[in-house]
Amino acid sequence: MAIVRGRNKYATPKSAGLIITSLIDFFSIVVIYLMKSYSAEGSILTNADNLVLPNSVAISKPKEIYLQLAATSDMILVDNVPVVPTDDVRRIPQSVADPIVPKLEEKLQAAYQKEQQMVRLGALNKIQGNVIIQVDKNLEFDVLFKLMNTCGKVGYNNMNFAVMEREQ
Amino acid sequence: MSNMPRKKLSEGAEAEIDLKPFINFLVVLIPVLMLSAEFAKISIINLKLPEGRGSQTETAVKTPPPNDDSDKLLLTMIVTDSVVTLGAKGGFMPSLFYKEFHKYVSREDRGVEVTVEYDPSNPKKMPLNPKTRKPFTVYERQEIMLYVTDENRNIINCMYTKTNEMLTDANGKPMQKVNPGDTVYVLTNPRRMVIVTNPAQFVLKPLSAYDEMKNRLMKIKQRYVDVPDGNDIILAAENEVAYDKIVQLMDVARAAEFPNIAISKLRS
Repeated sequence: MAIVRGRNKYATPKSAGLIITSLIDFFSIVVIYLMKSYSAEGSILTNADNLVLPNSVAISKPKEIYLQLAATSDMILVDNVPVVPTDDVRRIPQSVADPIVPKLEEKLQAAYQKEQQMVRLGALNKIQGNVIIQVDKNLEFDVLFKLMNTCGKVGYNNMNFAVMEREQ
Repeated sequence: MSNMPRKKLSEGAEAEIDLKPFINFLVVLIPVLMLSAEFAKISIINLKLPEGRGSQTETAVKTPPPNDDSDKLLLTMIVTDSVVTLGAKGGFMPSLFYKEFHKYVSREDRGVEVTVEYDPSNPKKMPLNPKTRKPFTVYERQEIMLYVTDENRNIINCMYTKTNEMLTDANGKPMQKVNPGDTVYVLTNPRRMVIVTNPAQFVLKPLSAYDEMKNRLMKIKQRYVDVPDGNDIILAAENEVAYDKIVQLMDVARAAEFPNIAISKLRS
């Protein structure tokens, strides 16, 4: 039999208390960090894979859902659907004054016709021709110019560049 | 009742707060905040394409636009792989020659950073990662830095604040040296006047072409306040210019209060 030391042998043994101060400290830091990055609006832009957007001080957010055109180093996408390889765009000679990407033009025209139909049905007041262009920051201007030219030709003249907001 | 044993609080014992509900609250709050947190904030830059000058391709013109007799400035920033030039209807400002440096940060080990001078004649050449001895990938390029050079391709230095703001004199000229009692201007918009008390507060660094371009644009903005296209600028770039550089120059234009930016191609 174990020898009971101390004066009160009937006292219930005290359990080792869990030290939760440090846990609460940790939680508090996590909550503050998350509240800093909290966004009530959410993001209506989706980032394409293999796409690194350039950093910018721009802070304006898209208000509505626009047509999204993304250019990665290997593929051009419209609304996240691959349309044409980027190398095909590069192959269009730079000397062409009015460069058009045929497959992209076809896809954009289909989207533009949908907008026209929505205007006829009364769902839209007028054709807005808005497009958000997401371009990989390492791509050369030549590719961007050809994409912009194709967009403008179809009627998407209100062009916006998507960028990654830089911490101020 | 009087026979029931009473617990006595020993002197000095503290009443403990029950933290369980608070922890429960935090455990619920954290997933909610994680769901609505936006870690990568995507913004947009709106382009303002000038109508009827060929940039808006729906109204593309095959012939040069007729001579514009209005008071428009038609400010244009021309970007090539070694020069940035500002031009307007009246003429061109002296070109800003620059050397381009690329900063690479390893994806495996964020502590490994390498900054190398970019060679426009060999754009595919990548520096070696000192740790893995393998070349960096283009996706590891973190930043493009442009430093202004003189006619002999030597980098020009300029005084900066500790928070990386360029110093100019009253005429907007970059300062290479400051002395106690000097009046200098920090390149913010509007410029901030500072009287130097301790020159050690400032550091001599390579002059960034982005900062010098902002400086020049601010001077133009101040001088041509009343022109009809006082908020407009056209950015004309060469085919090989990286998109990242274009966006940085667009930021510079916006910082100098030229929010209406159009993009055009520099034809060879």
